[in-house]
Amino acid sequence: MRRVGIVGVGMSAFGVRNDVAIQELAWEAVKETLADAGLTQRDIEISVVGSAGTRTYELYPAVPINEYSGFSEKGPIRVEAACATGSASLTVAYNMVASGFVDIAMAIGVEKMNEVDTPTSLAVGGRGGNYLWEYHFYGTTFPAYYALYATAHMAMYGTTEEQLALVRVKNQKYAAKNPKAQFQFEVTVDEVLKSRPIAWPLKLYDCSAITDGAAAVVIASEDAIKKLKVDTPVWIEAIGYASDTANITRRENYVGLKATRLAAQMAYKKAGIEPKDVEVAEVHDCFTIAEIMAYEDLGFVEKGLGGKFIEEGQSDIGGKVAVNLSGGLLGKGHPLGATGLAMIYELTKQLREERERDRQAPLKRYIGLAHNIGGTGHYGYVTILRR
Amino acid sequence: MAEKKTSRKTVKMEGPTIDSVPIVYRHKIPIGRVVKYFDGLREGRIYATRCKNCGTVYYPPQIDCPYCGSSDVEWIELPREGVLETFTKVYARPQGYEDFEPYIVAIARVGDVRVMGWLMNVKDERCVRVGDEVVLGTTYIDKHNKYIITMQLKNKQC
Repeated sequence: MRRVGIVGVGMSAFGVRNDVAIQELAWEAVKETLADAGLTQRDIEISVVGSAGTRTYELYPAVPINEYSGFSEKGPIRVEAACATGSASLTVAYNMVASGFVDIAMAIGVEKMNEVDTPTSLAVGGRGGNYLWEYHFYGTTFPAYYALYATAHMAMYGTTEEQLALVRVKNQKYAAKNPKAQFQFEVTVDEVLKSRPIAWPLKLYDCSAITDGAAAVVIASEDAIKKLKVDTPVWIEAIGYASDTANITRRENYVGLKATRLAAQMAYKKAGIEPKDVEVAEVHDCFTIAEIMAYEDLGFVEKGLGGKFIEEGQSDIGGKVAVNLSGGLLGKGHPLGATGLAMIYELTKQLREERERDRQAPLKRYIGLAHNIGGTGHYGYVTILRR
Repeated sequence: MAEKKTSRKTVKMEGPTIDSVPIVYRHKIPIGRVVKYFDGLREGRIYATRCKNCGTVYYPPQIDCPYCGSSDVEWIELPREGVLETFTKVYARPQGYEDFEPYIVAIARVGDVRVMGWLMNVKDERCVRVGDEVVLGTTYIDKHNKYIITMQLKNKQC
């Protein structure tokens, strides 16, 4: 396998984007990515389009996106892995470059989620496990699935609603500084605790929103990177992947995600690093409890101590690892297909030290980690980047 | 509510829209292999399957055993009592459930498997605890013309 590096990244503003259709939204990210890489469509050999595509009127979005972006001959491959769609599309593009199938590839992630109303969105999200045995009988929504984990984690480890709230407070601190984030303001613990219940014990501010957005990444082989004379390539050191049962009732327990643990073990081993080597991370905080479990399952802290980890500021700048300086899914928004690539976008900017001073992670080893989950731990991807 | 403050900066870009030509999905779900499960719910019983060849128990039930390749399973009835492993109360209801009052989705350990159901007759979810004992049964849900598994707290009232 050949070494693969990131040569360009781009991202649209995330939020409610009723001003654009899906292909117009994707183009915002593609255009910025090409400019960042200093390339044109002619240089890109293949595009991989990641879109869960469950809430848009465009049921086969890859081809319209490719045409609109000027790639109509570049054979899009459509990828879907629920909320981990972005990482899955990067994995496909990565393998094409690593294997020598192509030298330069683009992964495009996009999602339009506000074309339908909220009850419809909840009904679609609730089908993210096994429809017949869960949603059909019991109306399990996506927040409800994570709430099942929150209840168990709180019961077993004494994790508190205040500790969950601290995750949102930290992530909003950085979202407030991110001009592409859906929610650019800070919140207090009290505001999180007093927000209305969505799926108890999760409240409105414990949940990521329904978001439209696009992100894209251009990757190339080491030889191509030398030819292109890229000054600060960010290398994809490893991609770890795993999955877990569709039926939530068949899980080992409800206090962590096995898909995260397995994907992380694979990624750390391939990259030859340990959790303590990671300096900056974008983790899958679709709900506050998800970030707490991610600290533990990624090995940043022992199982059960995630609540204490946020309380001590260990996941903030100045702590053990700076987590979600983009604002995370909570602050930035979570357009399913775009999320995994938006993590790569943020980490690439962080590792190039291009961020504003108050949200740039201090770096010595230049190692970043992206953690992207699909469904409720149905898919897990952990990607290690190094400059 | 705090989230309604308008002074807070959010990305919300509106523009003119038109309505799509609506599409309605009404799926036919094949249940031929597991029809005994559905019959059981009507009779107040909860069935799992056990592979006759290797002994693996499946809940939800399935008739193909991917571990040994056998499709020879027996139906076994689960006990009517269990222990709560986790639960949540769903306030933001999805399409198809808008007409229901907020409901509690619970997972209980029942024998060798875990079972999902609605925990009924609970006024305050904050008084329910992981580890509480529950009694299982089934209930007809008129609005959806279906039977579901329901649970009641065994030794306490909430």
